[in-house]
Amino acid sequence: MIESIWQYILAGVVVGAIYALIAAGFVLIYQVTGLINFAQGEFAMIGAMTAASLATAGMPVFEAAAIAVAAAALTGALCYVLAIRPARAATGVTLIFITLGLDVALRGLGLFVWGTNPLSLDPFTGGSAITVFGGKLPPQAMWVLLTDVAVFGALYLFFRHTYAGTAVRAAVANPPIASTFGIPLRTFAFWSFVVAAAIGGLGGVVIAPITSATYDMGLTFGLAGFVAAVLGGLESLPGALLGGFVLGIVTKVAGGLFSTGWEEAVGFVILVLVLVLRPQGLLGRAVRRA
Amino acid sequence: MFVYGRIGLVLLALVAALVWFLPSYYTGLLTQIGLYALVTIGLNLFMGYAGQVSLGQAAFFGIGAYTSAALAVKLGLTPWAGMVAGAILAAVAAYVLSFVALRLRENLLALATLALGIVINVVFNQWEFIGGSSGFKDIPGFALGSYTFDQRAYAILAWALLAVGLWFAGNVVRSGFGRALIAISAGELGAQALGVSAERLKRQTFVLSAVYAGVAGAVYASQASYIDPSGFDFLLSVNFVLMSVIGGIRSLSGAVIGAAVVVALRQLLQTTVPLVLPSARGDFQSFFFGIILIAMLIYLPRGITSRMSEARRA
Repeated sequence: MIESIWQYILAGVVVGAIYALIAAGFVLIYQVTGLINFAQGEFAMIGAMTAASLATAGMPVFEAAAIAVAAAALTGALCYVLAIRPARAATGVTLIFITLGLDVALRGLGLFVWGTNPLSLDPFTGGSAITVFGGKLPPQAMWVLLTDVAVFGALYLFFRHTYAGTAVRAAVANPPIASTFGIPLRTFAFWSFVVAAAIGGLGGVVIAPITSATYDMGLTFGLAGFVAAVLGGLESLPGALLGGFVLGIVTKVAGGLFSTGWEEAVGFVILVLVLVLRPQGLLGRAVRRA
Repeated sequence: MFVYGRIGLVLLALVAALVWFLPSYYTGLLTQIGLYALVTIGLNLFMGYAGQVSLGQAAFFGIGAYTSAALAVKLGLTPWAGMVAGAILAAVAAYVLSFVALRLRENLLALATLALGIVINVVFNQWEFIGGSSGFKDIPGFALGSYTFDQRAYAILAWALLAVGLWFAGNVVRSGFGRALIAISAGELGAQALGVSAERLKRQTFVLSAVYAGVAGAVYASQASYIDPSGFDFLLSVNFVLMSVIGGIRSLSGAVIGAAVVVALRQLLQTTVPLVLPSARGDFQSFFFGIILIAMLIYLPRGITSRMSEARRA
């Protein structure tokens, strides 16, 4: 019993790491543009499907991965330029619907390009399963966790130790004043989509060897990343990281103990509870109501 | 005052005449348009007039369908009773969920309704009593006395319900209730200051939208005679949003236009796209629907009907 729970926890850590990456994309876009991007999960789909199809065609896995991340980033750029920027005068609900439209359009595009069959991707490196206190992890799990360390490390360094990162923080803290200091808000909005898409695409690439890749994986991953972001308070990258792991572990343990069919519902029940009981997220401080 | 009732009656008369000439396949499409339009009217009351957002409307449609199907298959109840029960259960579900969802605004409301829609779909999938992932087969049809409904009768039933729905919604939006809803969408705080109880009105509208969806779902179950959870998923909720946006989110007759456009477009895409791209399979039309949704929101955010009423004024 205990061993199997430990095994579920390890499985949860692996998917949780991917949820954290997608959540980081949500947080970046939300922070910079105030927009919740419902299409976020599709970037992971584009990454996973591109890498899997290129590798199947014979390309070495790391080259395929690099091209896949670039493809996801390009998709993010196009989404911003073609759909978000033309509607920037629109209000909240309209923008929600636009990103919703992006989500189904990208999903349909995935169906056109890759069809309905799942594609598989070989693990980046071979070798036998890694044993952690009696639980087993596939070798690919190391790559998943390394990706999290690299991405969140890079984001931390960028926001804390670079001039541009400080400018982005200023733009988030107070857009009009940042703008008067010559901070280009619109350029930042563009790059937030590109970077969020690249991170999502990378998440899709590294998880593809474990879950395989399908055209409709985006919605599941997108919503999970969403829940993770809300768990983390929507405005914090460390929160996104924590939220991803919490969500991954809770859903895998609940799914393992009860039934995997309910896994998806567990995540959303958590989401609803958090929204109602603790809308500021697990790490956030309560905002006092005036 | 009765303009929407009159529109509904004219449409009903038109459909009642058309079904005698159309092949039964097209009659089925007419039924589909009528039922989807009914759902979209409810959605427009909640989104367009009250200024809220729901990405989970397919769940209420599904609750109506499953309630009616379960009562008919398991208990042998007539679908007429199933229709009433479906509406009631959808209303109860909306009432309970409103305590969670309606505390939230815009982004988070969209997310919460989307999540609730998916949770309800998981319940459909996992609850073996209502058929699990294989759903219900051989759902009994509607009957009047000894007459069992054929496709023509379903089309007439759907559009009769639509006429009633249009008439009722028309009265709602022209009443003090409707004006209070518009006040809420303009600004909840301001509306409250004028003595509008935003929370109560939003809840009542959410419940009303679920009743519209529940009734439509119940009729759909009997007409299709077969339902499974995949028919009530996230993509259907997106389709409802698309119908609403195409026709104009704050328009009642727009709901009918939006439903007709989406159903017609889906048929057109399903028949023409495989000719160009033989490999196209599955729900590929979502690609076009997504792009149309985006294009509408950028270029015609108030829907087709906004252009029509401008033309009338000019």
